Amino acid sequence: MGELRRYFDDIELGEEYESPGRTVTEADIVIFAGLSGDYNVLHTDAEIMKQSIFGERIAHGLLGLAIQAGLFTRATQAYATLAFVGLRWKFKGPIKIGDTIRLRAKVIGKKETPKPDRGLVTVQRSVLNQRGEVVQEGETDLMIERRPRP
Amino acid sequence: MTGSYFEDVPLEHVEETPGLTITSAHVAIYLGLTRELAADGGAVPDVLPLCFTTGLGWRVPKPPLVVLAFMGLDWQVLRSVRVGDTIMSRSRVVTKRPMRDAGVVVEEREVVDQRGEVVQRGRFTYLVAKRTKETRA
Repeated sequence: MGELRRYFDDIELGEEYESPGRTVTEADIVIFAGLSGDYNVLHTDAEIMKQSIFGERIAHGLLGLAIQAGLFTRATQAYATLAFVGLRWKFKGPIKIGDTIRLRAKVIGKKETPKPDRGLVTVQRSVLNQRGEVVQEGETDLMIERRPRP
Repeated sequence: MTGSYFEDVPLEHVEETPGLTITSAHVAIYLGLTRELAADGGAVPDVLPLCFTTGLGWRVPKPPLVVLAFMGLDWQVLRSVRVGDTIMSRSRVVTKRPMRDAGVVVEEREVVDQRGEVVQRGRFTYLVAKRTKETRA
């Protein structure tokens, strides 16, 4: 499988990807609440949320973030990722039950590091809903292996 | 609604949560939910400890923030976490910015493992409700 992963050297600045869509269901939210332990009323109390600015329960922001990480793996061939280094992220709008989200991503940075076997790749990401509205966006920094020298 | 309103949030107070041992069951549920790909059997996907820190915040005596919206985060992954590691979360509010009907709260958070090493850290920004006539203390 190793040869199918793309090394730092293979990834080009400006590359763009778009993922398939994924419909976020009530079950996703319930499972994420159980897994994370985050039972905030935003995600779990349909009655209180009727009175809120959203009008209904919304997905956890971090559920959207986690789902886009999975969508990234379906948008492009796997990177030879050594580590996820960090992210800067904004939640711009709600993801509601039944919304279908997809990821649009672009490579906006490539930096060599002091270590010769790896480089830092920055990917700008937007999560869009079925109406094309950006509901989340940000940048992620990934440490990627360099192609091994023969 | 019960909870900590904007006015109730103390600055610079350090809150520490109980621990959570990360199991392969957590990882399996997470991978099924997100369809992230597993690196190897014992690896914990990097976003998962970040997700746990929000739930761990519900396991302290202080009532949770009355969050109207989670606005964003800056996050750094310093070390990888393995199945079997026990993490806890430490947080403190570093900035409060009042607005008309609500307030912006910035919280610094760390995820710490059983060796006391900070494995992830960053800043969360929330929009938090102010007290109204009905919820005035």
